[in-house]
Amino acid sequence: MTIDNIRSQIAPTWCPGCYDFIMYLGIENALKALDIPKEKVVIVYDIGCIGNMADFFKTYAVHSLHGRSIPTAIGIKLANPELTVIVVGGDGGIYGEGTGHFIAWARSSVDISVFVSNNNLYSLTTGQTSPTTPKGSKTKSTPLGTPNEPIDPVPLAKAVNPEIDAVSVDGHNPIEVIAAFKKAILHPGFSLVDCRQICVTFGKQLDS
Amino acid sequence: MSSNVFTIKIAGPAGAGIKSSGLLLSHILVRHGFNIRDYVEYPSLVKGGHNTYQVSFSKDTIFTARYQIDLFLSLQPKHWQQHQPEFTDKTIVISEDATTTVPLKELSTPLGSRIYENTICLAIACYLFSLDQQLCKKIVSDNFGQQSPNNQAFQVGLDYSKEHFSTQIISSVAQTSQETGLAIHDGNESFGWGFLQTGGNFYCAYPMSPSSGTLHFLAGKQTEYGIQVIHPEDEIAAASLAVGASFAGARSAVGTSGGGFALMVESISLCGAADLGVVFYLVSRPGPATGLPTWTGQGDLLFAVNAGHGEFNKIVLAPGDQQETFDMSGTALNLAAQFNIPVIVLSDKFIAESSASLPDLSQQKIDQIISTKPLPGTPGKEYMANSYEHDIDGFAIEDAAPVKVSVEKRLAQFEEIKKAIPSPLFYGSKTAQNLIVSFGSTKSTILEALSMMDNKDDFAFLQLRSVWPLNPELEGLLTPFTNIIVIENNAHAQMVSLIKSQFNFNPQKVLLKYDGRPFFPEELAKLLNS
Repeated sequence: MTIDNIRSQIAPTWCPGCYDFIMYLGIENALKALDIPKEKVVIVYDIGCIGNMADFFKTYAVHSLHGRSIPTAIGIKLANPELTVIVVGGDGGIYGEGTGHFIAWARSSVDISVFVSNNNLYSLTTGQTSPTTPKGSKTKSTPLGTPNEPIDPVPLAKAVNPEIDAVSVDGHNPIEVIAAFKKAILHPGFSLVDCRQICVTFGKQLDS
Repeated sequence: MSSNVFTIKIAGPAGAGIKSSGLLLSHILVRHGFNIRDYVEYPSLVKGGHNTYQVSFSKDTIFTARYQIDLFLSLQPKHWQQHQPEFTDKTIVISEDATTTVPLKELSTPLGSRIYENTICLAIACYLFSLDQQLCKKIVSDNFGQQSPNNQAFQVGLDYSKEHFSTQIISSVAQTSQETGLAIHDGNESFGWGFLQTGGNFYCAYPMSPSSGTLHFLAGKQTEYGIQVIHPEDEIAAASLAVGASFAGARSAVGTSGGGFALMVESISLCGAADLGVVFYLVSRPGPATGLPTWTGQGDLLFAVNAGHGEFNKIVLAPGDQQETFDMSGTALNLAAQFNIPVIVLSDKFIAESSASLPDLSQQKIDQIISTKPLPGTPGKEYMANSYEHDIDGFAIEDAAPVKVSVEKRLAQFEEIKKAIPSPLFYGSKTAQNLIVSFGSTKSTILEALSMMDNKDDFAFLQLRSVWPLNPELEGLLTPFTNIIVIENNAHAQMVSLIKSQFNFNPQKVLLKYDGRPFFPEELAKLLNS
C-alpha cells in the first residue's frame, strides 16, 4: 500500500495546528506499516471534527451518526470478520452520545479498534462541555462551570473488561500515536486508543 | 350448531399453561384436518392475572378467531364470569364454579400438581368434540414425552368425560378424515420464516412485546441456518448493527414495537441518506409510551410512514395476516436490496401473536433479489456510505448544484419504487354498493365478517398492502365507489389522513376501535349493517 492510494483528493480542513492531523497520519502510517490491503479496511467515522476525516481518506467507510459509530462498526465486523474495522470518533461521540455503546461493546471480544480524539470539548459545535471536560471548567454551554466529574475512559473500559487493549496516549506525540494505533489494530479483540489533545481553537476555555 | 365454525376458549391465571395447552389443542385440531385461527389475551405479568387462549376451527376456510364461544374451559374458579358476553345459550362452560362443574383440583391431586389441570381440560375438549382419542393421545405423548405425567392427566380427563358427559353435547363437528399437512405459525414466526427463506442472515432485536417472538424464533435457528442473531444493549444499537451489517453485505433486519422503533428512527433516516437496505419489522401495540404492552392496535401507521428526519425514500408494507407476513418479510428484504433503502414491515400484536394453520413455511422458498452495491473487500470499488449529503463516491457535498442533483436522484428513485411495491388487493365485485377500505390486521376480521353475512355481495373490500408509498392505482380503485367504509384499529383514523394526503378521499363511514382489542367478526358484521 502506498500513502497516496489511501488518501482522497480532498485536503484536510482542520484548523492549522490541529492535532487531528496527527491521528490522520497515524492511521495512514499504521495501516501502511501493517501492510493491510486497502480493500480490507473499513473505517467508521463518528460525527465531529475528527469525523470529518471521512472525506480525507478513500477506503470503504461509513460516516455514521453521532454516537453510533461503535455499533455500526460491530455490525460490519460481525457480518464480515475478514475486514479490519476501525472507529474514528471524538470524546463527544464515543464517551457522551455513545457511552452506552462504548461500555456495551468494550465487554465484547469483537475485534474492532476505536481511536478517540479526546480534547475535552465539543469543538465542531464551537466549544461546549464534553464528558471529559474537567469539573468546574467554563465553556459556552457551562458558563458557570462544568458541574460533573469527568469520565476517565481507559479505567472505565478496563473495569468492564480487563482483557481489552485500552490505552491513553499523548495525542500531540506522533510516535506514541502511531505505535498505539498499530498495537490496537493487531490486538485480536476490542481496543481503545484515547488520544489526549488540546483543541487549538476552543481549548483556551479550559484554562479558565 | 348452525355454523361450521367452532370456537373453544381456555382461561386461567398466567403460569397455568393456558397458551401451551391451547396451542397443543390447535395442533390436535390441525392433525384432524381442521383449519384453525387463534387469538390470545394476557396481561404484562408472569404469574397470576387472567390469560385466555381461544381457537376457532373449521373444515372450511376460516380467516380469524370468532367472538362467540362454543366451549369455555376455566382452569380456576372466577375466570369465566367476565366472558359472559361471548356466550350463547348453547355455550358449555366448564369450571369448578360453573353449571358444568369439573372437580379439577380433585382430579389433579393424584397427579401431584395442579399444573396438569390444563391437560385434563384439553382431554375434555377433545372428548366433547368427538376427536380421535388414539390420535390425541399420540400427539400429547409426542409433545410431552412418554414419561410425562401429562399422558396420565390426559387419560384422567378422558375417563372423567366418559363418565360424566355425553359425546353428543357437541356432535355435529364434521371431521375431515385426511391430514392436510398444514402447520401452525404465528405472525412472528411467519416473519422469521420469510426472513430465512429469502436469505436473511443478520437479525438484531432488543426484546419488546409483541415482537420478541421473532427474536426467539430466529435465535433458535442460528446454527441450523448459519445466521447471526444479536440482542444488543438497546434498540439504537440494534438498528446501528443492522446498518453496519448491511454495508458489509448482510441481508439484515431488526424487530421491535413502537417504543423501540422510536429509538431506531435516526437509523431509518441514515439508511435513506447512505443508501443502505435494512428491514424494520415493527409490531405495533397500543401507545402512547409504554401503553398496553400485550394488546393490539394500529396506532403507529403515520409514525411508520413518517419515521425519520429529512426527505428520503422508504417503503412501509402492511401484511394482513400470517401468510402475508411471511410473503412480505421476503418482499421487504428484496426491496431493501433492490433499492438500498429502509423497508418497514408494519404488523401488530393481533397478527404477530395469533396463529394460523398454513402450508408449512419451512418448506417455502422465496426468490431473492441481491443488492448490486460493491462489498467491502472488493478491490478498486472503495466508497463511503455517508450520513451527510454526498456525491457518487460518498464524499460530503455542500454546494447547491450537486446537492440538488442528489435530492433529485432520490426523487427519481421514488417513481421506480412506486412501480415495485405490492398492489392493493381487491375482494368482491367492482359494482358492489359499498367498498370497505383497510390495511393490516383488520383484513382477516373483515373477510371473516363478510363470510358470515347474508348480504356479503353488497360489499367489496380493498386492502392496502403498501401503506407507503400508496400505490398510484389506488385512486382508480376508489373512484367508482360512493359508499366507502373505512375500518381501523386506532382512534385517529390515520389511514384516512394518509389517503387524503395523496388522493381525493371522502369515506361515508369510519369504524374505529381503540381499546387494545381487535375487531371481532360478529361485531364487525353488525357494524357493517348498521
